[in-house]
Amino acid sequence: MLEDDIDRLFPRAHIALSDPPASKRAAIEFLLDLLAANDRVSDRGAAFDALCERENVAPTGVGMGIGIPHAKTAAVAEPSVAFARSRAGLDFDAVDDEPVRLLFLILVPEVGAEEHLHILSSLSRALMHEDVRETLFGADDAETVQNAVREAMD
Amino acid sequence: MPERVVTVVPEDGLHARPASNFVEAASEYDIEIQVGHVDGDLVNAASMLAITGLGVTAGEDVRLVAEGQEAEAALDELERILSTPEGEG
Repeated sequence: MLEDDIDRLFPRAHIALSDPPASKRAAIEFLLDLLAANDRVSDRGAAFDALCERENVAPTGVGMGIGIPHAKTAAVAEPSVAFARSRAGLDFDAVDDEPVRLLFLILVPEVGAEEHLHILSSLSRALMHEDVRETLFGADDAETVQNAVREAMD
Repeated sequence: MPERVVTVVPEDGLHARPASNFVEAASEYDIEIQVGHVDGDLVNAASMLAITGLGVTAGEDVRLVAEGQEAEAALDELERILSTPEGEG
């Protein structure tokens, strides 16, 4: 992915190295707060509702220890991605019942349906590589996380 | 090896509930089932991460390939899921 794109989509301010809270809802709020703190979210409540609604349709614990909560919402003006990881592992209603350790939250504007799918699928392909997952899980700083995503997303 | 090409009907594409139904069904068969774009690489149909990575939208064709006992039955079931509009699955 183009350098400028990742810096807008996934700046270091959206990357947490500390563990999120242990519950699924609280972890989603934790990720959402990263975006809100960077002024990406105009209506935090609406964004959270959209994320929860999507989880109710089908949980975003996609297996291999990865959770990708995502939603389209008018509460964001541009596509935004946040990251956190859990050393303890979260119960995320994952398809394989395994605890989730790597979390990416994606919010895109209502109009960005295709972009939404592109970000989600590109990120999923990147996360299929074990070396990418290990780099993300072991990263000591936000720059390492950002660069791993930059290099792995196409 | 049994295979077929199926047009994805649900509005969400192979995403959200249709994807979840698809992966769940594929996981119930004890055989290797793969799915992909018609001209692309095939991935494990029982992996939600892999399916999400395909980014299949409504109206697109996908190729399903299965090998082993019950391959045709598995393909029938997966085709049914991909051919069923949302809300009727």
